[in-house]
Amino acid sequence: MIKEIKLDGKKDISIVNDLVDFSNVSKVFVPLINCNILCKCLTKKGRKVKIGSVIGIREDIDFPILSPVSGVVLDIKKYQYLNGDLVDCVVISNDKTEKILKKNEVKDICNYSKEEFIDLLKKCSISGMGGGDFPTYLKYEGNNSILIVNAVECEPYLTSDAMICKLKSKEILDGIDAILKINKMDKCLIAYKKNNNVVKNSFLEYIESYDNIILTPVDDFYPAGWERNIIKSVLGYSYSKYPSEIGIVVNNVSTIYSIYKALKYKKGISKRIVTISGDGFSKPVNVLVKIGTNMSSIIKKIGSYEGDNLRFIAGGPMMGTSLPKDELIVSKNLGAVTIINNDEYEEVNKCISCGKCIDKCPVNICPALILKNIDDVLELKKLHPEKCIGCGICSYVCPSKLALRDAVKIARKKVK
Amino acid sequence: MKFKVSNGPFVKSSNSTSKMMTRLLIALIPIICLSILKNTIIVYFYTDATLLESLHPIFMIILSIITSYVSELLYFKFILKYKIADCIHELSKSFSIIPGVLLSLVLPVSTPLWVIVFGAFFANIFGKMIYGGFGQNIFNPALIGYLFISASYSSLIGSHLNLYELDTLAGATPLTNLASLNYVGSYDEIVSGYGSLLNFFVGSIPGSLGEVSKMLIIFAFVYLTITKTIKYLIPIFYVGTVFVITYVVSLFTDMGIWYPIFHILSGGLLFGAVFMATDPVTSPITKFGQIFHGICLGVLTVSLRFFTSYPEGVMTSILFMNMFVPLCDKIGLSVKNNLKKVWIYILVIVIFISMTSYFIINKISYKEENKIPVNILETKKEGDKTIYNVSSKGWGLIKATVTVENGEIISIDITDKSGETQWSELEKNDYANKAIEYQDNIDSLDAVSGSTFSSDGIKNIIKKILESELNNEK
Repeated sequence: MIKEIKLDGKKDISIVNDLVDFSNVSKVFVPLINCNILCKCLTKKGRKVKIGSVIGIREDIDFPILSPVSGVVLDIKKYQYLNGDLVDCVVISNDKTEKILKKNEVKDICNYSKEEFIDLLKKCSISGMGGGDFPTYLKYEGNNSILIVNAVECEPYLTSDAMICKLKSKEILDGIDAILKINKMDKCLIAYKKNNNVVKNSFLEYIESYDNIILTPVDDFYPAGWERNIIKSVLGYSYSKYPSEIGIVVNNVSTIYSIYKALKYKKGISKRIVTISGDGFSKPVNVLVKIGTNMSSIIKKIGSYEGDNLRFIAGGPMMGTSLPKDELIVSKNLGAVTIINNDEYEEVNKCISCGKCIDKCPVNICPALILKNIDDVLELKKLHPEKCIGCGICSYVCPSKLALRDAVKIARKKVK
Repeated sequence: MKFKVSNGPFVKSSNSTSKMMTRLLIALIPIICLSILKNTIIVYFYTDATLLESLHPIFMIILSIITSYVSELLYFKFILKYKIADCIHELSKSFSIIPGVLLSLVLPVSTPLWVIVFGAFFANIFGKMIYGGFGQNIFNPALIGYLFISASYSSLIGSHLNLYELDTLAGATPLTNLASLNYVGSYDEIVSGYGSLLNFFVGSIPGSLGEVSKMLIIFAFVYLTITKTIKYLIPIFYVGTVFVITYVVSLFTDMGIWYPIFHILSGGLLFGAVFMATDPVTSPITKFGQIFHGICLGVLTVSLRFFTSYPEGVMTSILFMNMFVPLCDKIGLSVKNNLKKVWIYILVIVIFISMTSYFIINKISYKEENKIPVNILETKKEGDKTIYNVSSKGWGLIKATVTVENGEIISIDITDKSGETQWSELEKNDYANKAIEYQDNIDSLDAVSGSTFSSDGIKNIIKKILESELNNEK
C-alpha cells in the first residue's frame, strides 16, 4: 500500500508564464560537489578554460565536473550550495564565445554501443537533475529492461520538469528512443501526474511514432514522484534497495534531455531550467540559467519579494532547505527556488503521540519515537532512521508542528 | 537580503493539536446535553426535587472544568513561577479542561461537589502537571482523579441513580445487578428490569453522567474517527475482545446473543473505550501496539468484571494498561520491523482470550453444579428401599451406605472412616443418627466442635442423597 498525502500543487502560477532566458551571464560559480561528496579542483586561478573542459573531479569514481562556459578562472571561493553548506566554487568569467569542443553534430544518435554510451555519460558528467545528483552512467551499467521517465514532479510550486517537457518533448522522445535501442531495453514508461495536462499534451503530439514509449499517468499525491512509488504505481513492483535489481532504470525527464544533448553534441549540459515561485514572490516564472549562476542577481531582475515572514528555499517547500540569504549557486540538481511567506505554525507544542507521522511515513519508520529517543543511540538503531528519504511528510502532518524530519536527520547522523 | 531560517517542510497541514482537542470537546457536547436532559430537566419536572437539587449535575460539570483550569493556572503561577501572561499562553497549549470534563462525566450522578473539586485538582496536578504537563503524563489524568475519588471518598460519592430513577428502579445499576446474580441468569433477570437492550442503547438506564447513551457515544466515535482525531483501533479491538469473550461465555452457559451485547452496552465500557483509552498521550503510537493494547484492555475488563467484587472494571483496566504503553509500543515496533513476528503475538492473544473465557466458564459452572462434594458411587433398588453407596469429603474421604425408604433416609452405615482423625467425637455424639433425625432441616444441625470437617462430610451426604431423591421423583 502506498502511503500518501494530498497537497495543493500551486503549479499554475509559474507554468503559465513563458521561459525567460538568463543564460547570458558574465560570471559563473561552479560548485565542486557531486552527490554531496566534495570534488577535487583540477584548475587554477588565471587558467583559461573552454566550455566542457574538466575543472574538477570526484575522486572515488573519477566523475568529472565540467565548465559550463568558456573564459578565465578568476578565483576559487566558497559559496552557498543548495543544501545550505558553503562549497568551493570555481569562479569563471564568461567570454561568451561559447565554443563547443567537438561541435560536429551526430546524425544518428542511436549509433552507439553500450560501452560507448556509458563512457559518454561519464565524460559528459551527466547526473540526476531531479535532485539526487547521482551519476547517471552507474544506473545503466547492469542489464536493464525497462526505463521509467519521471515527469511527476510531486512537490508544490515546481514546474521546471513540466517546462522542459513543454519545450523539448520531441528531443526527449528521441533521447528515450536512443537509450532504449543502445541498451536493448524493452520499453519506456513516462510517468506524469494524471492532472498535469501540460506534460500530457506536449508528449501526445509525437508519441504515436514511438511504439515502445508509453505515457502512464499516476495519481496526484505526495510523494508520487519518489522512485519506489513510481515503480509501484506504474508497474506494481517493489524492490529492496535499488530499482536496478529488477532491471529498471528511473531517470528524471531533465536528465533524459541532458542525455539527449550528450548523444547529439557529445557535450555535457551547461544550462538548466529553474522554477522561481512561491507565495512570497511577485512574478513566479521558469528561467533558463547557466550552471553556476548566482540566483540573487536573476531574482532581482525578475521581481520582488512580498511579505514579512519570508523563507528562501532551495528546492520545493516539502524537501527543500531554508537558506539565510538568496546568494544561491545553481547546480545541476537545483530544480527550483521557492519563496514562502509563512507566519503561521510557529507555535510548537509537545508530542501527543497521536501516531500520524507513523501512519503516513512512506518508509515505515517512527519519527515520533525517534524524536523521543534522540539521545539514546542504541534505541535509535532499532528505529532505523537511515531509511528516511527526507520527504518531510512527518513534519507536515504533525498536529504539534514538531520538526520531526530534522530529528530523523540528526538521528541518522548519530546512527552512522 | 536576509531571510529567516527554519525547519522544513514549509507547507504544513492545517490540522493542529488544539483543533484535535476542540473536536474531542465537540464530540462530548451531545453526550453532556443528553445527560443534562436526563438527570436535570426530567428530574425537575417529574419529581418534587428542588431546583438546586436537580441542577446538581450541571454544577458538577462546570465546577470540575473550573477547578481543572484554576489548578493548572496555580501550578504554573506558584510552582513553575511563570508570569501571568505566560501562564495564560501555556494554558492554551495545555488543554487543561479536558481532564475536568471527562472526570465529571464518569463520576456517579450524586457525587458531592467538594469531592469533585478535590478530584479535578488531583487529576490535573498529580495526574498531569507533576509529570511535566501536557504530553508527558503516563496515566490518563481524568482517571487519576477518578481513582483518587473512588479510593478516598468511596462512601461519600453516592449512587449512580438520579432522584428520578431512585423512585423507579430498585437501587442497582445493571452491572451490580449482574454481579449479584453471579453473572448468569435469564434475559428477564439481567435485562428486563431496565426495559430492553434498546433502553441501554438509547440511554434510559442508570449510570454516570456521560456513560449512559451508547448511541451518542457511537456517534461520537464515528465523528472522531472520520476526522482522524482518535486512535480508532483501540476502541474497536477493546470492545471486540469484550464481545468475543462474553459471547463464548454465553455459548457455554446457554444464554443468547443478548448477553455479550448487554456487556458492551452496560457500564462505562463504550465511554471509556472511546474517550479514555484513546487519549493520545497515554496510548500506544504504533498500529499493532494499539491493537494489542485494545485486546489487553478487553481481557482485563472482562476479568475484572467477573473475578472481582468491583463490577465495573473499565476505568481500572485503562489505568492499569497505561503502564504498559511502552511495552505495547515495543511489540508494535518489533512487528513493524519483522512482520512475521505478528504470529507470535496473535498466538499470545488467542491464549489470553481463550484462557480468560475458560476461567470464567469454569467459575460460573462450578458454582452452579458442584455445590455438594459428595459422589454417589452406586445405587441399588431392593423393593421399596433404595441403597446408595456414597463417598463424601470430610477431613479425608468418608464412605457410607445409605438406605432410603419413601424418600426418607432410614439408616447410614459408615463403611470407611480411616481418613478421619477426630471420628471418636462424632461417635460420642451419635452424629450419624442425629443427622438422620435432622434430615428435613439439616442446616440447623450444628457441627461437632473439634471435628467440623467430618461433621460436614456427614451433613453433605444427607443433602446430596435427598437432592438426588428429589430429582428421581421428578
